[in-house]
Amino acid sequence: MSGFRWEIIQEYLPLFIDGALMTLKCTVICVITGTLWGLTLGLGRLAQAPHGPWKQVLRFAVQWPVRIYISAFRGTPLFVQIMVVHFALIPLFINPRDGILVSGGIMSADVARSLRADYGAFLSCIVAITLNAGAYVSEIFRAGIQSIDRGQMEASRSLGMTWGRTMRKVILPQAFRRMLPPLGNNAIAIVKDSSLASAIGLADLAYAARTVSGAYATYWEPYLVISLVYWVFTFLLSLMVQLLEKRFGKSDSR
Amino acid sequence: MLRGIALLTAALSLFAASVQAETYIVGSGGTYRPFEYENSQKQLEGFDIDIIKAIAKAENFEVKLVNTPWEGIFATLNSGDRDIIISGITITDKRQKMVDFSTPYFPAEQAIVVPSTSTIASLAALKTQKVGVVNSSTGDIVVSDELGKSSTAIKRFDNTPLMLQELYEDGIGAAVGDVGVVKYYIKTHPEKQFKLVSDAKFERQYFGIAVAKGNDALRNKINAGLKQIVADGTYAKIYRTWFDNNVPTLPAQ
Repeated sequence: MSGFRWEIIQEYLPLFIDGALMTLKCTVICVITGTLWGLTLGLGRLAQAPHGPWKQVLRFAVQWPVRIYISAFRGTPLFVQIMVVHFALIPLFINPRDGILVSGGIMSADVARSLRADYGAFLSCIVAITLNAGAYVSEIFRAGIQSIDRGQMEASRSLGMTWGRTMRKVILPQAFRRMLPPLGNNAIAIVKDSSLASAIGLADLAYAARTVSGAYATYWEPYLVISLVYWVFTFLLSLMVQLLEKRFGKSDSR
Repeated sequence: MLRGIALLTAALSLFAASVQAETYIVGSGGTYRPFEYENSQKQLEGFDIDIIKAIAKAENFEVKLVNTPWEGIFATLNSGDRDIIISGITITDKRQKMVDFSTPYFPAEQAIVVPSTSTIASLAALKTQKVGVVNSSTGDIVVSDELGKSSTAIKRFDNTPLMLQELYEDGIGAAVGDVGVVKYYIKTHPEKQFKLVSDAKFERQYFGIAVAKGNDALRNKINAGLKQIVADGTYAKIYRTWFDNNVPTLPAQ
């Protein structure tokens, strides 16, 4: 192993800094959208009515599609999903020639073109990781909600609260505390997964390393640097999760 | 006793005659039609593959072809995983610091690919565009010089088809790639309606065969083999198979 040539990294420093910011931006957005999408899916996954006409409707029009969705997104590689989203799904909607949104008159061809050119990879990365993280997060929500004793739901419903209000005020606050560790886990996974989007030209940290390693035919320096940066990111994230756990754990009378 | 010695020498000479030809492991990235690509039997094919096989035949060694991703391809030489890399590699000063190259075996130049309706007519006109390149290719180097190497207007892709797909989807306004590869792509994808733009700024460069830094014995073998296949017409025959009849004259270095 030759010596560490710091000047290579220095020469491309702007690219690394921009890349780190892009990775952060992607992570923050994907964690938020992924969690919200996961909550929606998780509630859909639990949708059921004990009897009456709604029973079948909820089961086959809500619960089953969500189950299939989760199975599909957990059962295919994220890298493949990013490619499919970038080269098939997004063009389907915003392709200047025959995209649904363009021919539907919702956006002009010029807007579609500039959107693809300026934010194409970014948009695809966000969409793909959100869709993927949503599938994982929905299971975290389902587990969290199901872990709360049934008596809580029964008690608040018998107090006359609606189902929605019960969820908001009673069930989810308690469930959320239990969900924090796996949600933190998921956020850490998103930091690392965003590196896959460098293949579609998203200028993130991994992209900076690929560029430098390509230019200098050297792998040691750029990849060592970005692994340290990724590690710092994930470490800070896990610290944040720990703080949140402390903060939410305060009411526990132990 | 004497008979024993005679037998021994006879056995030794037999052994020397049947000595195994040396086998070298050749790495080649299989996403660079027509230079190297995988056929449906997962065999590598292409101009580069024919060249290295011909050189091996001329110099009497065996080759084992291994499809190696372009990403990290140079590192495989110094780690000893591969002995030879032939993968449409342009000889550049930066790369010469890392690996050693044979004499040139193919003249390569760059070309700008744009949609046929585009008004871009020169390299300078790319300054206002998002430009696609293949990561660390010669095109990447040329465009980096023009737009600045940390510019976010440069979109780097893993291979030419991926880059041209993005051009087709309007994610980039232009792409810069090796003329041989993009010509072949445009010929095989007429429905995408691309055209080529050349620029005087694109200098003539050459592809070389790479070996690990300091492996002069193997490099000299490859150079001698290349010289021989040019001299005996094998090179011209291979060139005509993949491109056209304008067989180039190769410089000595």
